[in-house]
Amino acid sequence: MLWLFALIAGVLFGLYYGLAALGLNLIFGVMRMVNLAHGDVIMLGGFAAVLLFDHFGVNPLITVLLVIPPSLLVGYLTYYLLGRRVQRSRDPEMMSLVMFFGVSQVIEAVAVIAFGNNEASITSAVFGTRPFSIAGQGVPGAWLVSAGVGLVALVLLFLYLYRTSLGRATRAIMSSPDEARAVGVNPDRISALTFGIGVGLAAIAGILSLFMIGGTTPSEGVDLTVTAFAVIVLGGLGSPMGTFLGGIVFGLALMFTQTYAPVWSGFAPFAILLVIMLLRPTGLLGRTVRSV
Amino acid sequence: MLIPRTRTVGLAALSALLTVGLAACGAASTTASSGAPKDIVIGTLYSGSGSFANSSLPEFQGLKFWISQENAGGGVYVKAFNKKIPIKLVALNDQSSTTTATTEYEQLVTQDNINIFVPDFGSVLTLPAVTIAQEHHMLLFDQTATGSPLFTPGNQYIVLCDLPLSAIWPDPLAHFILAQHISRVAILYGANDFDATQAATVKSVLAQGGVTPVYYQAVPTATTSYGTLLHDIAATNPQAVLELGYASNDIPFLQAVQQGGYHFGMVATAFPGQEFTLIENAVGKAGLSYTYTYGVPPYIKFNNVSEGLGTNAFIAKFGHGNIANVSFENVAGYNTGLIIQAALGHATKFTQLGMRAALFALSGHFTTLDGAFKLNSEGGQVGELLPLAQLFPTATGNEIKIVYPSASADHAPVYPAP
Repeated sequence: MLWLFALIAGVLFGLYYGLAALGLNLIFGVMRMVNLAHGDVIMLGGFAAVLLFDHFGVNPLITVLLVIPPSLLVGYLTYYLLGRRVQRSRDPEMMSLVMFFGVSQVIEAVAVIAFGNNEASITSAVFGTRPFSIAGQGVPGAWLVSAGVGLVALVLLFLYLYRTSLGRATRAIMSSPDEARAVGVNPDRISALTFGIGVGLAAIAGILSLFMIGGTTPSEGVDLTVTAFAVIVLGGLGSPMGTFLGGIVFGLALMFTQTYAPVWSGFAPFAILLVIMLLRPTGLLGRTVRSV
Repeated sequence: MLIPRTRTVGLAALSALLTVGLAACGAASTTASSGAPKDIVIGTLYSGSGSFANSSLPEFQGLKFWISQENAGGGVYVKAFNKKIPIKLVALNDQSSTTTATTEYEQLVTQDNINIFVPDFGSVLTLPAVTIAQEHHMLLFDQTATGSPLFTPGNQYIVLCDLPLSAIWPDPLAHFILAQHISRVAILYGANDFDATQAATVKSVLAQGGVTPVYYQAVPTATTSYGTLLHDIAATNPQAVLELGYASNDIPFLQAVQQGGYHFGMVATAFPGQEFTLIENAVGKAGLSYTYTYGVPPYIKFNNVSEGLGTNAFIAKFGHGNIANVSFENVAGYNTGLIIQAALGHATKFTQLGMRAALFALSGHFTTLDGAFKLNSEGGQVGELLPLAQLFPTATGNEIKIVYPSASADHAPVYPAP
């Protein structure tokens, strides 16, 4: 049953794509900034996993935990170094495009110097070579691990947003920065923390990308950013749940096209994006982010 | 010697412009009709970053190695002047961008006074140079762009140096499949000229043996997830699975074969022979064991050569005696230099078509560490054939052995894979 495998693969890849795009959407939702260096952070997460595995034999799942503290710190500091200035400009969305395009180029250049131009990866045997059976279909263990990590990240993010005071403050800023400020929320602190979480989620996605898309290279950042951006537009700008829904739609489109018309598989997900934009410009679960 | 990209202004610039203008009627601007040029200027591009960098940079290293070897001996011999002339290299970084490459090819040809025009790695980055070379009547020393559409009857200004036309790459592969009486073959290929030509060749040869592929599909060149495709392929119950793509396709494909626990009697991919270390590091020893690939130098050895260093001597000098330090692209870049050397060393006139005529006269009569140099009427390479290789596990990794055709084989194939 080819369709059943495509369905399962589409959902599992969708959860991975959702994770890969989640940080980008969170940062946009809170700060109205488009982090064009998002894909480069994913790339760096991949290289972190490769280096730790090659030199110290660290299991990639351990690396998922290890990258969180430095990512939070880097994101936190990056906000105060760059993000705050962008946010205080007249047009933060446009300025963020320019600023983070530059950051993306710098990261890529430094990565080439540090890691070389070659594709790097970890043998997929690290998660076993025996597929797991789901509804009678043999599914690679690495896919289940990636999707599982994506789901855990989503649950933790929701717990953070809806069960903590910092999360409530984050949602307050997403809703109305001025009103949040009026009730005593420190927008800089929340934005810096959000930026750190966004960077952390991207780094985690980078580790899993080794098993979902085969490897990592310094030049892949732009492509990953484009894919992540397509996913959040599909799901709705500013909506974390929408990001995962967008990811699943993207994943299903990719896998069904690979099954029934492989040569169109690079085109179909973006064609669906266009259709959804025509029918529902705010995305599947999006809310209006601009007012006229 | 590498010319820095800094430019002087004022009188020097005016003088350079006048020189270019006066020389515009000729193809090689530094060539004075009355005497030898001070230098032979080679203009080329390389990808310092981006998706082609991992192939382009080692190829560029090979070319620079040839230049350093020649300059150490006083320069390259130019028959038209009966003397050795030092080589200068003008090299620009296209960052794997065809747009940048197009602009920089124009710059090389129209502003940099080059005598020898060498494009970047592969079909994608070479394609813009083909038109520019033809328009400006510069002979293009095409290194590794093998797609058949690049070679047309009306274009005299291209010569393929380092690989055979992609249409004849998989000939031994297809004949091996027939020889093993494999009747169920799945072919998955990238939707680009390079891969589509190979796929068409395999299909055609198999058809001659009465075999119709059970799966024959193209995927976008940028494809990096193969799990679902492999599941669909496995559903057709193939004995042999051929994935014809670039290295960036081969890695995720081989990963997916491992991940999914698939076992086929034969798995063949294109690039493990050319980028062995890179791919083995990425997919691991088990991921490559008993798979098949195209056999390329330095794993095919040519020590009895008529031009330049033989394989072992090249490994000793370039790779410091270790074959693991030498990739096919290194060999290709060095071999491009040898073809340039042959053209200059045999052309009686120092003109672009004079060099072309010299190479056509040499076609079929000389051998380098890349094999027998032989051109068809359109400048496409039909020598330097690629036998079929298989990767065998050792204590430390895999080693590449030639398994077909039997005349060049150094190991018996293991089919089906254990």
